[in-house]
Amino acid sequence: MAKEIEISNSESKFLLEALRQNYRLDGRSFSQFRDVKIAFGDEYGDVTIEMGKTKVHCRISCQITQPYEDRPFEGLFLISTENSPMAGPQFENGNNTNEDEVLIARIIEKAVRRSGALDIEGLCIVAGSKCWAVRADVHFLNCDGGFIDASCIAVMAGLLHFRKPDITVHGEQVIMHPVDEREPVPLGILHVPICVTFSFFNPMDTEENIKGDTNAEITIIDATLKEELLRDGVLTVTLNKNREVVQVSKAGGLPMDALSLMECCRKAYAITEEITDKITYVLKKDEKRRNKFADLLTSENARETS
Amino acid sequence: MSRLEIYSPEGLRLDGRRWNELRRFESSINTHPHASDGSSYLEQGNNKIITLVKGPKEPTSRSQVDTNKALLRISVNITQFSKFERSKSSHRNERRVLEMQTALVRTFEKNVMLNLYPRTLIDIEIHVLQQDGGIMGSLLNGITLALIDAGIAMYDYISGISVGLYDTTPLLDVNSLEETAMSSVTLGVVGKSEKLSLLLVEDKIPLDRMETVLAIGIAGAHRIRDLMDEELRSHAEKRVANASSR
Amino acid sequence: MASAQQQQQMHMILPGDSLPISETDLKSHRLVLGPGLYTDPKTLTIHPVNAGKLYITQNNNSNRINIHIDYESHRYIPHVNDLVIGCIVGTFADSYKVSLNSFSNSVSLSYMAFPNASKKNRPTLKIGDLVYCKVATAVKELEATVECLESGFGLLEDGMIIDSTGLKFVRLLLFDDQFPLLRLLASRTKFEIAIGVNGKIWIKADEIKDTLACYRSILDCSMCQSVDQFANIIKKHFQDLNTVAAATAATEN
Repeated sequence: MAKEIEISNSESKFLLEALRQNYRLDGRSFSQFRDVKIAFGDEYGDVTIEMGKTKVHCRISCQITQPYEDRPFEGLFLISTENSPMAGPQFENGNNTNEDEVLIARIIEKAVRRSGALDIEGLCIVAGSKCWAVRADVHFLNCDGGFIDASCIAVMAGLLHFRKPDITVHGEQVIMHPVDEREPVPLGILHVPICVTFSFFNPMDTEENIKGDTNAEITIIDATLKEELLRDGVLTVTLNKNREVVQVSKAGGLPMDALSLMECCRKAYAITEEITDKITYVLKKDEKRRNKFADLLTSENARETS
Repeated sequence: MSRLEIYSPEGLRLDGRRWNELRRFESSINTHPHASDGSSYLEQGNNKIITLVKGPKEPTSRSQVDTNKALLRISVNITQFSKFERSKSSHRNERRVLEMQTALVRTFEKNVMLNLYPRTLIDIEIHVLQQDGGIMGSLLNGITLALIDAGIAMYDYISGISVGLYDTTPLLDVNSLEETAMSSVTLGVVGKSEKLSLLLVEDKIPLDRMETVLAIGIAGAHRIRDLMDEELRSHAEKRVANASSR
Repeated sequence: MASAQQQQQMHMILPGDSLPISETDLKSHRLVLGPGLYTDPKTLTIHPVNAGKLYITQNNNSNRINIHIDYESHRYIPHVNDLVIGCIVGTFADSYKVSLNSFSNSVSLSYMAFPNASKKNRPTLKIGDLVYCKVATAVKELEATVECLESGFGLLEDGMIIDSTGLKFVRLLLFDDQFPLLRLLASRTKFEIAIGVNGKIWIKADEIKDTLACYRSILDCSMCQSVDQFANIIKKHFQDLNTVAAATAATEN
């Protein structure tokens, strides 16, 4: 069994006392998301996300396969979020039945796949016999909390960035054109879900939390690893820019007042907007970088066709 | 699939309920007195659930011993015959079931006074005999009843319910037909308060509708709490009567 | 710190290099080997086995050469007489189980290894408490033991712990008098500090905000390459926290 990170009483006491006095260890305010750095690789669909010390890499790939028998008009989409010891010594290889890891995988699955962020009907090539299988492999490179948020951004940025090879269909025959032969085509993205994780701390005793109505619980956004280890409860809200709640998961933990949970959802919306804009911005920048010779190649001197 | 009228213009749902009506809720406790230390049988609509609480007992392995509090373990067994069509695989070790178990453990960890039973294990076994939507809420109710029957100290009831949102109308306590047709929210409410211990949304819901959905859900959960309370009190009265007649 | 009588040379050395000492020097002097060096038992040649700075100290008066390599490492391995900070992770019938490092073998701290300890007078430490202790035995086949016998050792109450990423930084902090960090911090606030060579630094000031400022400063300075920037880092953190404190006070009034 993998050992766990040991946290001393001093640390937990100090962290809680600091929160009571409105300080966080890393100097952020309670509702401040870490600065998200998005970097694209040379290939399409290769993204690295950095949030503070947390680092997540996502690679999108695709191939042509047969669709499921009961869903002949849909392509396949798989998200694999496997933790490896690369992220930190607390993770074990090949053992992904750990409670937290299952929760991470399920939430990303619900946020991206179940919510229909990727248009899987658009992946169908020949109904019932050929379709695209898109695969998102998420690798956790360094762990400092906020895995869910970071991987969701990584998967979405990856999907938006990815291009699949162009194809020509002649009846049952499919010709796949290599990327250097024909411009590859982007995937159909229907909406961009963004996860925001809130952590709850209880500065009082349990009785006050359950029976009292002071609602003194402390809520912070985007916890670091230390805060994650010490928190009493967690809520992950997934929203998109259309003001839709895609997924909410508060799997137990500290009971929280319904109104403060609503407040969290509203705060999450502001962050969602901000991050979505950021993704669009970096995508545009990357597009420009790739097509920096586009002006030279335009046929300005071409004869007029009219 | 035929188009079903989920919510008729007259305000009736598929099974004839109005938007704010619960399903039939029947429960009994102490149903398996020999097999366990606390048990309950719950019928919420067509959900049929047996919950067995065993413990606080000695942990089976030494590595599970926590010197400060009891260890809570919940295993959910969704039977293969629980749905209309028999499922091919057993649901054990499915990610969905693992997630449910984790969520249930984390919900009750904060509500049960585990610190009173150090070095012990509280094992909760759930058998879902039949399911018809809103299963997570029913599991919460079943566990609450069984824990009270087992005499394990806890702060308050936790009552679970799911609420669907059909267009702009929230529908209380959805069944499986409604659940597949629209998005729903599952709540776990602590006692008569407005505190949520569990909140799960799995499909899209407009942000601006969330508040109404939560409000309906909390009201419904309070109603379920009362129904559970009624059952527990009548059961207790029966026992007291038996004891005094002896 | 080279005094007049001492000659000190410094080299960067890697495993596999040969020592920059002449054969005659080696033969004519008494050698004292420190960490990072290994003697082949057959040939009696000395090999450097770690990458770092090689220190050769020759004392002119005596016929002795001290050689050691000062190398950076991240995981702590117990050595006798090291000062360490541990976290109590378990209790046994006659000893505590102490962790010096997450994901490392734990060490044991006997109930008898405290001042005035007797069969009846047992220490009252709880799981999760921090202790400042000294490594008593460190045989690589056995679990190492630590002790808190002298004054100054024992429970570290409250405060905050900093996990440094490298052990070199804590050694500088603990042994190098010229290292400016502590003096700079002391000019800002009053604090208690305990430094363990296992990479843990415990710090406690009167107020949470000062402890926090120290925490952030030490953490940032341990990442920072140049000593000259320490003052700026410290200044920034103390100012930041004062503005937050002022803002909180303003909203409360």
